[in-house]
Amino acid sequence: MAVVKLQVDGREVVVEKGTNLIEAGKKVGVFVPSFCYHPGLPVVGVCRICLCEIEGRPKLVAGCATPVEEGMKVITQSANVREARKAVMEFLLIHHPLDCPMCDKGGECTLQDYTMMMGPAHTRFTFEKQTWPEEDVGGKLILNKNRCILCLRCVNLCKTVAGQDEIAVLSRGEETYIGTVAGRKIENEMAGNIADICPVGALTSKDFRFRSRPWELKPVGSVCTLCSKGCNTKVWYHPRRNEVVRITARENMDVNQWWICDRGRGAFWGIHDPNRLLQPTRRQGDATAPTTWGQAIPAIAESLRAIVERHGPSAVGVVASGELTNEECYLARSIFRDGLGLANVDVVERPQPPVVYPKFTIEGDRNPNTRGARAIGLAPGPRGLGVADMIRAAAEGSIHALVFLRGGPLEQFGDPQAVARALGRLELLVVMDPMPSPVSGRAHWVLPGVSFAEREGTYTNSQGRVQRAPRVFTLRGDTREDWRILQDLGRSLGVWMHVDAGPQQIFQRLAAANPAFAGLDYTVLGDLGAPLAAASADVAVG
Amino acid sequence: MESNGHVLMATTGLPGSHTLAVYRKHGGYEALAIALSKTPDEIIDTVKRSGLRGRGGAGFPTGTKWGFVPKSNDKPKYLCVNADESEPGAFKDRLLLAKDPHQVIEGTLIGAFAIGARRAYIYIRGEFAHEASIVQAAIDEARAAGLVGKNILKSGFECEVVIYLGAGAYICGEETALIESIEGQRGEPRLKPPFPAVVGLFGCPTVVNNVETLACVPHIMKRGWEWFAGIGPERNTGPKLYGLSGHVNRPGVYEAPMGISLRTLIDEYGGGVPGGRPVKGVIPGGASCPVLRGDEIDISMDFDSLTRAGSLFGTGTPVVMDDTTCMVRAAWITARFFAHESCGQCTPCREGCGWMQRILWKIETGRGEERDLDILLSVTDQIEGNTICALGDAAAWPTRGFAKKFRDEFLQHIREKRCPLGGGSLH
Ligand SMILES: Cc1cc2nc3c(=O)[nH]c(=O)nc-3n(C[C@H](O)[C@H](O)[C@H](O)COP(=O)(O)O)c2cc1C
Ligand code: SF4
Ligand code: FES
Repeated sequence: MAVVKLQVDGREVVVEKGTNLIEAGKKVGVFVPSFCYHPGLPVVGVCRICLCEIEGRPKLVAGCATPVEEGMKVITQSANVREARKAVMEFLLIHHPLDCPMCDKGGECTLQDYTMMMGPAHTRFTFEKQTWPEEDVGGKLILNKNRCILCLRCVNLCKTVAGQDEIAVLSRGEETYIGTVAGRKIENEMAGNIADICPVGALTSKDFRFRSRPWELKPVGSVCTLCSKGCNTKVWYHPRRNEVVRITARENMDVNQWWICDRGRGAFWGIHDPNRLLQPTRRQGDATAPTTWGQAIPAIAESLRAIVERHGPSAVGVVASGELTNEECYLARSIFRDGLGLANVDVVERPQPPVVYPKFTIEGDRNPNTRGARAIGLAPGPRGLGVADMIRAAAEGSIHALVFLRGGPLEQFGDPQAVARALGRLELLVVMDPMPSPVSGRAHWVLPGVSFAEREGTYTNSQGRVQRAPRVFTLRGDTREDWRILQDLGRSLGVWMHVDAGPQQIFQRLAAANPAFAGLDYTVLGDLGAPLAAASADVAVG
Repeated sequence: MESNGHVLMATTGLPGSHTLAVYRKHGGYEALAIALSKTPDEIIDTVKRSGLRGRGGAGFPTGTKWGFVPKSNDKPKYLCVNADESEPGAFKDRLLLAKDPHQVIEGTLIGAFAIGARRAYIYIRGEFAHEASIVQAAIDEARAAGLVGKNILKSGFECEVVIYLGAGAYICGEETALIESIEGQRGEPRLKPPFPAVVGLFGCPTVVNNVETLACVPHIMKRGWEWFAGIGPERNTGPKLYGLSGHVNRPGVYEAPMGISLRTLIDEYGGGVPGGRPVKGVIPGGASCPVLRGDEIDISMDFDSLTRAGSLFGTGTPVVMDDTTCMVRAAWITARFFAHESCGQCTPCREGCGWMQRILWKIETGRGEERDLDILLSVTDQIEGNTICALGDAAAWPTRGFAKKFRDEFLQHIREKRCPLGGGSLH
């Protein structure tokens, strides 16, 4: 890698050849403002706020569009530079509505921040401002052109990341505007990123508009659990309302760069789905009634024990899911396979076609941790049955009890009517799931687990990268974190006797026991995760 | 060829001047044969020595520009002929396209040979549809005569010449916007560097030259660089087309050497101002060039002299304004043009041009205040040098020129709250 040595405001800096002045400045703590520049998009150099001086050159240069040169002396703080930046700020504001109090971007708006930092306090523009009506452009975005500064990030995101030209620059001169073409709407699933990268309140998210101010929120670094890509996200929690109000992308160059798809962005709706299961329930005959954890867990343990004693371990099956964290998978494996000696343990897989964009793929495996579950050994043991065979065995009466660690629609297991009949024959059907489903609707016991945001855990994405998602908050109700439910059940069954304080300790046990996870701990994972032990080909232990 | 002492316009007055027959009868395409017998380096060197500077406005030395094109052959190279001529005041290329297209084509072929291009685009503004049809007929004739296409003049040299019609945007005359336009993109200037000589059309080395620049080349080939360098002042050599318009008795395109006096041009070529009225101001080279006052027209029409005088030579196409002209209105018309033609991608030009136009209209209509004049001047400062391409500068310079050279007239508008020359309405 060729490197270049230069000076930025007198500070020496060594950077890779091809680096621009903005990035070079960043390295030594020199701030160069930017609107249009985004490291993940083509350099367009249009906003001109990044103008810098280079010693010996008569004209200012755009910091975003100027690559470093050996011995270059960059000046970002001269009178010329300050004048130029002030000029650009003034120009950008002449037609701007200055409607911060009612603009959703307020508090996280680059234009607002820069205006406070270096903008003029008064306007010299005394003419009528151009105005445009607000517009729904699709992609769950509302376009307010009055606030647009024409940085072109939206256009280039659609063009380069999603490969779509649904939104474009139209007209010219001061009439230039961003718009959809020929009555089209934005339809690509990357469009939500526009709300993240629009530096002003021109393109805002319909899902987030008018719901809160960013300073009321607590952003928590997390991981998306809607496919096996494992995009890094920020989960924005509203403490006063005890609510997650949005999810945005978090940069991780090894996984999702700067982007997430719109499904992941909308995942917070699921957390607050009005149908969430908030209390354990027990069904007897046709009557379903609330119960308590204190009754449910020992009762389930006793039933399971009894069935194993009466019919042997092959009469019990566990249908797990790639939605479980590594720790939960490890608990499930330890309890059901190692502890109870069950061989009928499997993970449901329901791959769909991936959605492939030029610079982003939404994985076909819509579960976050299938790879982790497999690496941990959630798979049929010797002579054990897979999911489909377990259902068949239930229909034939050779399986008497099934434990579903996540439910879901019946179709995923086969012909829905046959599956319903099979489930109806069971002596014991236990389902752990935050959401009701046709499976949990037939269960004897329903244990309300929680969403990814309400429990801590790690997930192994399709590349084999292990990433942490912390607990963000706790929903009101009598729910319990899934790892706790499993641990409680394990203890009741007498097969998991550890009293672990939380997922971190469980993860340590996993790492000690499973070579694929060897060497990993929370420090190694950090905020961006770490790959499974390189040597491991994910061989399940067992 | 020089029957009337003219070089570029030697035959433009003859019937059928646009045909191959007439062009050949007067020695046409002899220069191409000479060029093809030389090496590209020899041609570039000859053009360098001639001192030819680009006639598209910037006055960049043509031979030097050609020399920037890499010699390696790993990518195709292109020559683009800039026939977008859209600046108010400029109409000299149009004459060459309509009356002597072969001169332009011959220059184009020599240029293409010199830089190693096998394809040349003539980018003609959409409004020149008539001229484009003449040029197309000329290309067809030339191809039929073995002058365009494969194995030109049996030399083995191959070059296609293709017309690309613009869609009516001044900005597409800016060389990188022209390239974008040919590529089928929005006509928006590119960030430079890289310069077109290295990364141009379709990502390949490209030279963009003005119509008149290329029309000079065959003559340099035939008569030698010494002849060309002997015309006009030092560093500002050669014959030149001057497009004279405004308040003159005989507006039109005239050929004269570089360095002719602006007064001579107006009085002798243009026949003076109608009614013998005094010259109030002259925009010397197209709307982007700062105005000169009537008492500043004893000046040599060349790049360096006009730059020294705080103006620009531009395309050498003076617009003459007599004492009935309102300078605020002239400034406003100019600013309105640039505001309308700004591509809109970069902030200072997009926002600044519209602002200047508004202030000028405010002053012209008697609603101006003194501080508007200060704001106007500071807006020109805020645009200049901060944009992607020179259109921003081209808008700022003339505005500043008018406001400074005719400050009193601006102040009079403000004080009297009306246009003292009776303007101030939209018509
Ligand atoms: C806004 C703008 C418009 C221009 N329009 C033209 C034009 O119409 N014709 C032209 O030859 N050059 C025009 N130019 C200059 C070209 O960018 C370029 O310098 C020229 O074509 C180079 O040719 P030359 O070196 O032969 O002069 C324009 C430049 C700018 C900034
Ligand atoms: S200066 Fe004007 S025309 Fe040139 S790139 Fe900027 S906005 Fe476009
Ligand atoms: S950040 Fe460099 S021009 Fe916009």
